[in-house]
Amino acid sequence: MATAGLLRDLTETLPRLTAFTLITLGTVLTKTGHSRAVIRPLIRQQVFRAGARLVPMVCFLGLILGVVIVGQAVAVLQQVGAGNLTGVLLVTVVVRELSPLVAALVVLARVGTATVVDLGTARAMGEVEALEALGIDPIHYCVVPRVVGFTIAVMGLTVYLMLVTLFSGYGFAFARGLPLTFPNYLSGIAAALSWIDFPLMMVKTAIFGSLTGMVICYQGLAHPIRLEEVGMATTRTVAICGIGCLLVDAAFVPIYLLL
Amino acid sequence: MNTSDVIEMVGVEVADSRRPGRGPLAGVDWSVARGECWVVSGLQGSGISGLLETAAGLRPVAAGELKLFGESLAPLRGDELTGIRKRIGVLFSGTGRLFSSLTVMENVTLPLRYHEDLSLSAAAEIVAPLLEALGIESVSASFPAHLGRSWTLRVALARSLALRPELLLLDDPFSGLDSGQFRWWRTLIESVASGHPWLLGRPATVVIGTDTLRPLLGLGHRFALIDRGAWRVLGDRQNVLACEESGLREVLGDPS
Repeated sequence: MATAGLLRDLTETLPRLTAFTLITLGTVLTKTGHSRAVIRPLIRQQVFRAGARLVPMVCFLGLILGVVIVGQAVAVLQQVGAGNLTGVLLVTVVVRELSPLVAALVVLARVGTATVVDLGTARAMGEVEALEALGIDPIHYCVVPRVVGFTIAVMGLTVYLMLVTLFSGYGFAFARGLPLTFPNYLSGIAAALSWIDFPLMMVKTAIFGSLTGMVICYQGLAHPIRLEEVGMATTRTVAICGIGCLLVDAAFVPIYLLL
Repeated sequence: MNTSDVIEMVGVEVADSRRPGRGPLAGVDWSVARGECWVVSGLQGSGISGLLETAAGLRPVAAGELKLFGESLAPLRGDELTGIRKRIGVLFSGTGRLFSSLTVMENVTLPLRYHEDLSLSAAAEIVAPLLEALGIESVSASFPAHLGRSWTLRVALARSLALRPELLLLDDPFSGLDSGQFRWWRTLIESVASGHPWLLGRPATVVIGTDTLRPLLGLGHRFALIDRGAWRVLGDRQNVLACEESGLREVLGDPS
């Protein structure tokens, strides 16, 4: 029953979310540079809230993931004599898959849910109509800074998470006395990386960030909401964002397989 | 239609924001001329808020035609609609729908900062006389949640006046005020209607929605009544006092 409800939610949401995204895109294109004194500080605020403030948490997660995934994988590969596959494995798991997805989910869990509550409450209290009454475009004022801020935040956090995970993983392997030097470890990763990994990672993290921001703003703002519905909108946001990010992730697999 | 009309409604049905197709008020024929002060009265839930939101261009009409400043609102989009909205100040009922995450100063300066692309300090310098006139300069660093209702309403009024509007729509501004606060508001509204210094001496058109009409009989030039979903223009003060309708007696607070 719960799965059926979620599927119904997704099919109902998708066309409206697409329309909401197109309206937001139109606003970005037509209002870039408009009201910079208001919009730029809002974007900075969102980058700080969803990005800079989460760096310590992401670094901590990176340390744990490095030990749990990288350290163990390196140890197992060395034990079975497949140490030359270390770079390929780490690039595939950590660089391409894990870091962007975990960064997006951290932003969703730590800031996204609170943002849906903020926006939903503001909508329920009539603040969106108050913005319109002042001639302020709610999409420009509320949605654009959040989507841009979340996009930059997920892109930045992915880089931090990836680097900390890779370094802590090597630290764990080194502590266990595995026969792998740091230059060999780095050169293995560098050899497995292709130049296209960098633009692809940027595109993927940008999609994760903007998708998270769009779903959050859509659930909080796009339709009239009562205060008692804010909690439900928040859980819906988590489910839709989680599934959306996994689907986007899956869509990138064929591209990586062609590399 | 008179070219000096600020609001012109012909056969307007006010849309219900929550239940499409079931408007709380229909058949509104209403012309508000420049410089007039209207008092629209009706019991709570009669649809005054919906009417004022419609008159502010915030709620599309379910039927009929609405013109603001001589322009039909239906085809307007984007910058044209924004241009109209900048000429209208709205004070919402309750606590004025202030932005809870912004301080008083940020709330009041937001429209100026957004439309004029000004920094907070530059906009704060511009609105300083307005804050002083409304007596709220001492709470400019506070958040709305930390203020009492009468202060919150003054802040909301300051925000609605920030762009020096030509039309001011006040939804139930007197509810719950003590007699001192009431006198202050009455004096201020009279000043706005006759040309407040903040408005550069230009008289604003004012529409006040209320559920208690009697204290405002001396304030409005023209009066209207919403009674059980029906719209009725009453005319001036003499017409109101001469009217014997039971719905009007209720908002006047007369014993039945």
